[in-house]
Amino acid sequence: MKYINKILLLLILISGFTACKKVLDTEPQQSIDAGTALQNDQDVNSLVIGAYSRMANPNLYGTDLLLMPDLLGSDDVCQWRGTFSSPKSIANKSMDRNNADADLIWETAYDAINIANTAIDALGVVKDADLKKQLNGEALFVRGIMHFELVRLFALPWGATADNSQLGVVIKTTSTKNEVDAGKSYPRNTVKDVYAQIITDLTKAVTLLPEQNDKRVTKYTALAFLSRVYLQQQNYTGARDAADQVISSGYFSLNASVNAVFSNKDTKESIWEIQQNEQNNAGTANNGMATFYASLPGIGRGDVRIDDDFVANSYPTDDLRQTQWYYQGTGARPDHTYCSKWISFSQNLPVVRLAEMYLTRAEGNLAMGTTVGDTPGNDLAMVRNPLRTNSTAPANPTLNDIRNERFIELAFEGQRIHDLRRLRLPTGSYAWNSPKLVMPIPQREIDATSGVLVQNPGY
Amino acid sequence: MTKPKLLLLVVFLCCSTMLWAQTTISGKITDSKTGAAISNVSIIIKGTTLGTYSSTDGTFRLDVPKSNASLLITSLGYTSREVSVSGSTMDITLEPGNSKNLDEIVVVGYGTKIKKDLVSSISRVTSKDFNNQPLPSFEQALQGRASGVYINSGSGKLGQALNVRVRGISSISADQQPFVVVDGVPIVSQSLGSSDEPDNPLATINPDDIESIEVLKDAASAAIYGSRASNGVILVTTKSGKQGKSKVSAGFYTGWSKPTHYRPFLNSAQYREIFDTAALHYRDSDLDPTSEDPLVGADEFASETGTDDWNSTNDVNWGKLAFQHGSVQQYNASLSGGDGRTKFLISASYNDQKGIIVSNRLTRGTGRINIDHTINSIFKVGTNISLTQSNNYRVPSDNAFSNPLQLNALSPVQPEFGPDGKLNTSTIYYNALIDYEDNNKNLSKTARTISNAYIEATINPFLRFRSQVGIDWNNLQENQFLGRRTLDGAPDGYSYSNQVTASVFTNTNTLNFNKTFNANNSLDALAGIEYQRGETSGSGVTGLAFPSDRFTKIASAAIISAGTSSETSFRFMSYFVRGNYKLNNRYLLGASFRIDGSSRFSTDNRYGSFPAVSAGWILSEENFLKNSKTISFLKIRSSYGVTGNAEIGNFSYRSLYTAAAYSSISGLVTSQIGDDKLKWENTKQVDIGLDFGLLKNRISGELDVFSKKTRDLLLDIPVPATNGYSTITKNIGDMTNKGIEVTLNGNILVGQFKWSTSINVSTYKNEVTRLVAPVAPGGRTLGRLAVGSPFGEFYGVKFLGADPANGDALFADKDGKPTNDYSLAVEQIIGNPNPDYYGGINNHFSYKAFDLDVQCQFVKGGDIYNIAGIFQSNNANYFDNQTVDQMNFWRKPGDVTMVPQPRLYTSNGDQKSSRWVQDGSYFRVKSVNFGYNIPKNVLRSAKIESARIYVAASNLFTFTKYTGYDPEVNTEYVGNINLGHDFYTPPQARTITVGINLSL
Repeated sequence: MKYINKILLLLILISGFTACKKVLDTEPQQSIDAGTALQNDQDVNSLVIGAYSRMANPNLYGTDLLLMPDLLGSDDVCQWRGTFSSPKSIANKSMDRNNADADLIWETAYDAINIANTAIDALGVVKDADLKKQLNGEALFVRGIMHFELVRLFALPWGATADNSQLGVVIKTTSTKNEVDAGKSYPRNTVKDVYAQIITDLTKAVTLLPEQNDKRVTKYTALAFLSRVYLQQQNYTGARDAADQVISSGYFSLNASVNAVFSNKDTKESIWEIQQNEQNNAGTANNGMATFYASLPGIGRGDVRIDDDFVANSYPTDDLRQTQWYYQGTGARPDHTYCSKWISFSQNLPVVRLAEMYLTRAEGNLAMGTTVGDTPGNDLAMVRNPLRTNSTAPANPTLNDIRNERFIELAFEGQRIHDLRRLRLPTGSYAWNSPKLVMPIPQREIDATSGVLVQNPGY
Repeated sequence: MTKPKLLLLVVFLCCSTMLWAQTTISGKITDSKTGAAISNVSIIIKGTTLGTYSSTDGTFRLDVPKSNASLLITSLGYTSREVSVSGSTMDITLEPGNSKNLDEIVVVGYGTKIKKDLVSSISRVTSKDFNNQPLPSFEQALQGRASGVYINSGSGKLGQALNVRVRGISSISADQQPFVVVDGVPIVSQSLGSSDEPDNPLATINPDDIESIEVLKDAASAAIYGSRASNGVILVTTKSGKQGKSKVSAGFYTGWSKPTHYRPFLNSAQYREIFDTAALHYRDSDLDPTSEDPLVGADEFASETGTDDWNSTNDVNWGKLAFQHGSVQQYNASLSGGDGRTKFLISASYNDQKGIIVSNRLTRGTGRINIDHTINSIFKVGTNISLTQSNNYRVPSDNAFSNPLQLNALSPVQPEFGPDGKLNTSTIYYNALIDYEDNNKNLSKTARTISNAYIEATINPFLRFRSQVGIDWNNLQENQFLGRRTLDGAPDGYSYSNQVTASVFTNTNTLNFNKTFNANNSLDALAGIEYQRGETSGSGVTGLAFPSDRFTKIASAAIISAGTSSETSFRFMSYFVRGNYKLNNRYLLGASFRIDGSSRFSTDNRYGSFPAVSAGWILSEENFLKNSKTISFLKIRSSYGVTGNAEIGNFSYRSLYTAAAYSSISGLVTSQIGDDKLKWENTKQVDIGLDFGLLKNRISGELDVFSKKTRDLLLDIPVPATNGYSTITKNIGDMTNKGIEVTLNGNILVGQFKWSTSINVSTYKNEVTRLVAPVAPGGRTLGRLAVGSPFGEFYGVKFLGADPANGDALFADKDGKPTNDYSLAVEQIIGNPNPDYYGGINNHFSYKAFDLDVQCQFVKGGDIYNIAGIFQSNNANYFDNQTVDQMNFWRKPGDVTMVPQPRLYTSNGDQKSSRWVQDGSYFRVKSVNFGYNIPKNVLRSAKIESARIYVAASNLFTFTKYTGYDPEVNTEYVGNINLGHDFYTPPQARTITVGINLSL
C-alpha cells in the first residue's frame, strides 16, 4: 500500500507537467499581433483611419500645429498667460532643448508618418482597386503634410540660405517592421530635399485621391496643401494654380456667417477639418484648442489672451469678424479678450478652408500680374462679402491688402508665423530667419541617435 | 488542472482504508524555577505544522502519529526544548531565558523552519509588535522593525500605495515592490484603480488578523519563489485557532489625528509686499529683456482674477483649509479554540479612519474563518476564508488642481466664500474645496476575498503531501461625481464609474520529506509544482451633463463621453525542489531550484531557472564554545542564489496594433514594437550572515552583508522617434545593491521592571552598472539613471542664490562660476534620494501591570526635491502664494540672499534647479503604546480573563531639517525613477488613540 501511494503521488506530479504544455499561451485582448494585423482591405483601411486619428492628436492638428505657430508669432497679437512652461517659452522665444511640445510634435508626426508608410507597404493585400488608389493617396497625403509641418517648425525657413541647403528634417519613406528598424538612426535632409519630397508625395496624392471622400481628405485637400507648400517657397504660380483648382472644383463655398465653419461641422467652406466629438477629442483639461483659448464658464483656461489693439486696429471698422470672433472672457481669467473660433471641446477643427484659397489665389495673381480664375479684387470681395463681414473690399487691392486680410481672416488658425516667415517679416524683435523661431530638435532624439541628428543653431 | 484533483481523490480513498495508528498525549508545562504553569506555549510535532498551545493552566492535549516523533516546545521568555514523545502523559519544564530569535518557528516558502537552523536571511515581525496600532496598511508594521526593508509611505493619503523596498532597488521598469504571499496564496499587490496615483490593494488586509510577517531577503530564502522574488518576498501568515478552551477576544480603540507638520505660507500683508515688489520689477521679454517695465500689483492681480480682492481685508490661511481633524475607530472581535482534531478562528473587524486631508476616509470591514481539521492520522484538511469590504474616499492626484494641498497656492487676500455664501469661485487657481461640497464624491469600493483550502496527507512519519488551492479575488468599483461648480465637472456635471475585477488562482502541490537520522542528522526536503493564473478585466463609463447636481449617476447623463472595457491575463507554471541537511547538529546545508514558465515571454524564452545554495555552521555546538559562559549561540551562514523579476506587463515582447478612434470612425494604429528576445531580469545575490546570542541569549543579534547583482534589466530604451516608435522594451541594464544589516536585541533589565530593546540599522548602496544611455530627468523632475550612479540620483542645474549686485538668480556654469543665463548653466549631480542608512529602535518596558512600547524609526540621507518650489518658492513669479522664506528676497544691491529679486511674470530663478533640494533625514517616534493590565481579581467577578487598556500614538514626534510638510514623501505621479519628489504631497498623520482589549 505504501508504494501505491507513492506511485500515485508521482503520477500527480507528472500529470502536472504534461497537462500544462499549452497553458502558457495567452493572447492580448485589446491589441492584435503585428504579424497578423493587416490581412485585407478592411485592415489597411482601418490603419489609414488610424493615421487620421494620430493627426487629430493634440500634439498635431488637435492642438499644437494650430496653436504653436501663433504663439511663435504672438507679438502684438496675443499673449500666452497660462502657467504651462512649454507654450510659455514658445511664446517668449525661450525654448530649450527639452521643450515638451517640440518633443511631442516631433514624435507624433513621425508616428503618423510611420503609419502612412506601413499602410503603403500593406497595399498589396487590398483587393478593391479604387480603395487601393484612395488609401495610397491618403497615405501619401499624410506623409507629405507631416513632413511639411515638421520642416516648417524644426528648420530654418525656406530661403534662409540661397540654395536651401540648411538642415531640414529626416525624410522617412520606409516603414518600421521590427525592432532592428526601430533602432536605426537617420541624419537630417536639407530643407530643399524635404520640400522636394513633400511636393512629390502631395502631387502623387492629387492624382490618386478621389474628388469626394466623405469626411476624409480628397484631391482638393492635397491641392490646398500644395498651394501652402508653394506659397511657402514663394512659388506664386504653383500656389495660385493649386488654389484655383480647389476653388473652381465647385465643391466648396463660403458660409454666410464667419462663425459657422467653427461652430458647425463639415460646412461647405471647409476643405478639410479634424473630426471631433464628445468621446474623441483633443482634450478638455490639459489639451485642446478650446482648453487654451476659451474663457467661458466651465470651459477653457483662458491661457491665450488676444491683444485688444490687434482686434480694434487690424480689422476694418464695424467688421463683423471683430465681434463674431472675439469676446470678453467670462470663465478663467475673465474680462479680457478671447478668440471665439475655439470655444467647444468637441467642435471640429478646420485645418484648411476656402477663404484661404481665395487669398492665396489673389496673392498669386497679384504677384504674377495675372487673373487666373478671377481678379484679386473679386477674390478679396468674396472673403469680405458684406453678408459675412459687413465690410467692403477695395476694388484694386494691393499685395499688402491681401496679406493683411490673410492675417486677420486666418488669425489664430496656426498660420501667422509661417506667413511672417515667407514674407520675411519680423515678429516682435525677432527677424523672420531668427534661430529663436525654430524649434529645437528634441534632445531625446539627439541622444537616441547618438548625435546622428544634428541640433539646430542656438540650442 | 482537474487531473491532479482527481488523482488526489484516488489517493484519498486508498489511504483512508488504512488508517495510521496514532496516539493522544497530554501533559502540563511548568516553569523549572518557580513551578508555575506556563500558558500559551507552542507545542509542535517536529517536521510538521501540527501542534497546539498550552492552556492557561499549562496543560495541553495533542494527537501524535505513533512513531518516534519529537515535540518542539517554545515560549517567549523561555529556552526552547525538543522532547521525544514517550508515553501518553508528558510533563515538561522550561527554563527561563530569552529564546527570541533562536527557537522561534519562522515561516519560509512552502513550509516552516526553526530560526536556529535557518541558513538564510529573513526578517520577522509578529502580531505583538504591531497590535493595537492604527496602521493604514499592514506593511507599515515593517517600517523600522524589519532590517533590510526600507519603507516610504509616500504621502498621508489613506489607501495609497507605499514604497516597500527590500535590500535596495532591483528593477527599473519592472515592479520594484516585493512579492506578497498570504497563507501560501500569491496575491494582487499592484494597483487596480484608474487614478494616476496607485491605490494599495494591501490596505484591504486586516492587520489584526496577521500572526506574523516574514520578509525573505536573501536568495536562499527567496529563490524558491523564482521569477517573482528579486524584490524580496513578504509572507503573511494569519492567526489560527489553538487547542484548548474557546476564547473570545474583543478590542476597541478610538483616536484623533493631525498632520505631523503644517507648512507656513505668506499672510496678506506679506503677500502684498512681495507681489507689489514683483510687479515693480516686471520685465517684458518681448521688448528689452534687461529693462524694467513697472506694473502695479493690484492691477495685475485684478487682471488675473477679475476681482478687487487685493484691496480687501481678507487674510485667509488657505494652506490650512486642506486639512481636517482626522479620527480613527476600530472594533474587532474573535473567537478561537479547538480540540485535538479541529481548530478554528473566527474574527471580524471594522475600522474607520477619517484622514487628515479634506474628504479623505478609509473604512474596512473584514471577516475571517480559519479552520484546520485532522480527519485521521493521515489526512488533514483546512481552509482560510477571508472577506473584506473597503471604502476609500480618495483624494485627487498630487498633480491635480483639485488636490486640496494645492490650496496653499491660493492668495490670502481672497475670501474662502463668495458673496453668495458659497465657496469662492473667483480664486486665482481653482478652489479645490468645491470638489468636496454637496454631492461631489470620489469613492473606491473594494470587495475582496483571499482564501485557500488544502488537504494534507501524512503518508508516513517523514513523508507528507499537501495540495492547496488559493484564490485572491478582488473587485474594485470607482465612482466619482463632480458637480457643475467644480473644475472638472463644469459646465454641467461629470460622473465616472469604473469597475475592475482581478483574480489570481493558484494551485500548489508539494511533497515534503523530513527525517532525523541517529539523533543529530536530519534531512528536510521538498518537491512541488505550482500553477498560477491571473486575470484582470474591467469596464468604465464617463457621463457628462446632468439636469442638476442632485443627479449623480450616469443614467441621468445627457452625454456618454467615454466608455471602455478591457481584459488581460497571465499564467505561470512552476516546478521546484529544495533540500536542507543538518549534520551533527551544527553543519547546515541547503539547496533549492525552481523552474518558472510564464506567458509573459516569447516561446523561446518562456522558462527561467532559479537555483540557490546555502551553508551554515553553528559554532556554539562545537566543543570549544559549548561551555562558554559568554557565547550562548553563534552561527555563521552564507548563501548564494538567483532570483528573477517577471512583473513586466503581460505582452511586452510582442509587436502590437491597437484600436484608435477618429471621431466616430474606428481606426487601427501601431502601438508597440517588441523584442521577442526579451527574457527575465535576474538577480544573483550573495549573503554572509552571523547570528549570535550572548549571556544566555540575553543579548542576541544578527549581522548580514549582502551583494545583489541584477542583470538584464528591462528598460524602455529610447529609440529614434523618426521610426515611429519612441521606446522599445529590452534587457539592457545591470545594477548592483550592496549593504549591511545589523540587528541587536537585548533584555537590559529583567525582574519586576523589565526593559528589552531591539535596534536595527540597514544600508543599501545602489549603483547602475550598465545602460545604453543615461535616462535623463523629465520636465520638472530631477531623477535620472546613469552608469556609476545610484538609482534616481538628482541631476540638474545648481542654484547659487541671488546676485548681490542686481538680484538676478545665479546658476553654476560649466566652470562652476555663477551665471544669470540659465541656458549656460550645466546639469550636474545635485542630490541622492536614497538613504545612507535607516533603521529603528524598539523598546519594551513593563512594570507590574503596566507596559510601554516605544518604537522609533530613522532615515539618514535621502534628499528631497520639492517640485512645487517652482511655483511656491519662486520669489513671486506668478500669483501663487509663497512660502515664508521668500520674504528674504533681494531688496537692494549688496544683499546676500538665496532668494532673487521678485519679478512678476519674469523668470528669475523659477527654473528647475537645486534650489528646492533638501536633506530629508529624519528621526521619528513612530509608535508609542502605554498599557495597563487590569488585575485579575478585579476581573474575575466580571468573568473576564484579561483586560488591557492603553493609550497609543503614532508619528508622535518627527525631527527633521526638511522645511516641507513631512520628510517621508514620494509623490507618485512622476513615476518610479523620481524618488523623493514632493509635489503638494500631503504629510503623514500624527494619531493618538485610546483603546481596550478584552479576553473572555
